[in-house]
Amino acid sequence: MNHVLNITATNTPAVVERLLQVTRYRGYELAGLQLTPRHDAKSLNITLTVSGDKPIHLLTSQLHKLYDVQQLELAGSELAVLSA
Amino acid sequence: MKGAELVLQVLQQHGVDTIFGYPGGAIMPIYDALYQSDVKHYLCRHEQGGAFSAIGYARASGKVGVCMATSGPGATNLITSLADAMLDSVPVVAITGQVSQAVMGTDAFQEIDVLGLSLAVTKHSFMVRSVAELAATLHEAFAIAQSGRPGPVLVDIPKDVQLAEIAYQAEHAKASKAASVHTSLANAGKARALIAAAQKPMAYIGGGVHMAGAMSQLQQFLTANPMPSVTTLKAMGSVAKDNAHYLGMLGMHGTQAANLAVQQCDLLICLGARFDDRVTGNLQKFAPHAKVIHVDIDPAEINKVRFAHVALLGDMKQILPAISAGTNCADWLAQCAQLKQQYGWRYDHPGERIYAPLMLKQLSERMPDNSVVCCDVGQHQMWVAQHMRFSSPRNHLSSGGLGTMGFGLPAAIGAKLARPQDTVITVSGDGSFMMNVQELATIKRFRLPVKIVIVDNQRLGMVKQWQQLFFNERYSETDLSDNPDFVALAAAFAIPGHCITRKDEVESALEAMFTWPGPYLLHVCIDDKDNVWPLVPPGAANEEMITEAKA
Ligand SMILES: Cc1ncc(C[n+]2csc(CCOP(=O)(O)OP(=O)(O)O)c2C)c(N)n1
Ligand SMILES: [Mg+2]
Repeated sequence: MNHVLNITATNTPAVVERLLQVTRYRGYELAGLQLTPRHDAKSLNITLTVSGDKPIHLLTSQLHKLYDVQQLELAGSELAVLSA
Repeated sequence: MKGAELVLQVLQQHGVDTIFGYPGGAIMPIYDALYQSDVKHYLCRHEQGGAFSAIGYARASGKVGVCMATSGPGATNLITSLADAMLDSVPVVAITGQVSQAVMGTDAFQEIDVLGLSLAVTKHSFMVRSVAELAATLHEAFAIAQSGRPGPVLVDIPKDVQLAEIAYQAEHAKASKAASVHTSLANAGKARALIAAAQKPMAYIGGGVHMAGAMSQLQQFLTANPMPSVTTLKAMGSVAKDNAHYLGMLGMHGTQAANLAVQQCDLLICLGARFDDRVTGNLQKFAPHAKVIHVDIDPAEINKVRFAHVALLGDMKQILPAISAGTNCADWLAQCAQLKQQYGWRYDHPGERIYAPLMLKQLSERMPDNSVVCCDVGQHQMWVAQHMRFSSPRNHLSSGGLGTMGFGLPAAIGAKLARPQDTVITVSGDGSFMMNVQELATIKRFRLPVKIVIVDNQRLGMVKQWQQLFFNERYSETDLSDNPDFVALAAAFAIPGHCITRKDEVESALEAMFTWPGPYLLHVCIDDKDNVWPLVPPGAANEEMITEAKA
């Protein structure tokens, strides 16, 4: 089941590693990653697509805690579509 | 001034007067600045020990613990202790030197990607790229370590940044304030309704309560809402000693009364705890009849492993009064009192050999009020939790989440420096003690009057117990019968000691240890066959405890 997360993060050297480390450790697989610096290059727009069978809140609640993550929203997931 | 001096200035701005560490090439500028600083540095003899001392300091005092190490091996030696602080939510700031930026990324001498290593074991970590960022980064590190759910923060500082000049006026720098915690009481009404309606309510208390500074709110809550309570390992000492409804620790080595009552309750009020697997046993079978109210500061703990019917996030001090509803459960209180009575500990152990539970009970009764007990990991750790009483969780420092052998001795050093007026006791095992034994040199140098009690079963006892119960008595690599002479070992560090083997020697040995003004080592030999009971076997529900009689 794929979940798409739209993330705004501070552009620090390890921020992408942090996102990926939490994703892996919490048991989700990486299914897509896009990032573009925002105009001032101080922040990044990141689209992180992950797959996993566990409820996605178990991942988003951990990603939210990352100090460099400013905003995080679940853009969509099959689960959400099915249960809607 | 130099970046290195700035580091010490910022530490002082945060009220830090005590740090633990070990020097080396990439952190020499900071050590040079220390040479004429008011910040007192305690030289550990292994960076893991230094960081454990910072943890002991933080846990005994409620302040932030600070430790330092050089690049490469110094920094990698910190990792275990940072992991320990991470899993037990201890506010620690670790400062590491890094090779100069000119050679960074070239596999320079003692260069290791410490930022990369830190990701899994810190709440957050920084690499400082310019001296202009240094002060702000350090302020942020302190703010993050203490805010919300506390944790360790690492700041990696390249040598050239330490050496760079900067004009810095400490008084103008304002410490960045910790992100204030948002408290939502929106669900308080629902929680009150559940509490008022419960016939068998139970308070399940974790380390989050005392870390939130909510000890008095907790006592008030338990008084206004009489109900039985249980605590986790980290929360031992949270419930006032005169609370008649307290049932002890729950979980794998919890009391029978605590586990049986939790399994029967119809409302579980989880306060600053996280349903750890050592607490729940078989999760699916844990407290099967209970609705759950979960109060925590960390949103990620809500519904992580156990569904919460009502969740309240934020400051425990505000939440506890807001969910007080009054209880009416006299029958349940009587039933729990009966369990407590029926399954009370027994100390009538036959024979003349020392029975560790009884010895620890005697130690507990004899130690001065407000003593701090620092444990290591294994059977002795569980016996301490079972048989000693504490008046505050700050008086019982035990490595909970990580279960790190080698924690006790260095943690005691930190605790003693944080609370010089209070007696500090390490209760260690013959295995664990050897894991940071080098810190005896730190005790010697600073003449720290730490009391060391080694519970010696000549075994890696906890592992041996599992081999006996679950691995067909195949005792693979758990025999320590060739242990060193611990009293002689202590003597090499100018620490006097005494060895006892018989029950009737215990009282006088404890008396001698407490009467002696300085550090002291009491070597307590016990039977290698003694095990920790009760025990919830792996995969079992918490009511399926094995006891000595059944085993
Ligand atoms: C650093 C570390 N390595 C290994 C373990 C696994 N372990 C848990 S308890 C234990 C035995 C501890 O022996 P000892 O300190 O003598 O305590 P006892 O159980 O005998 O009281 C071991 C090896 C651990 N918890 N920590
Ligand atoms: Mg042992």
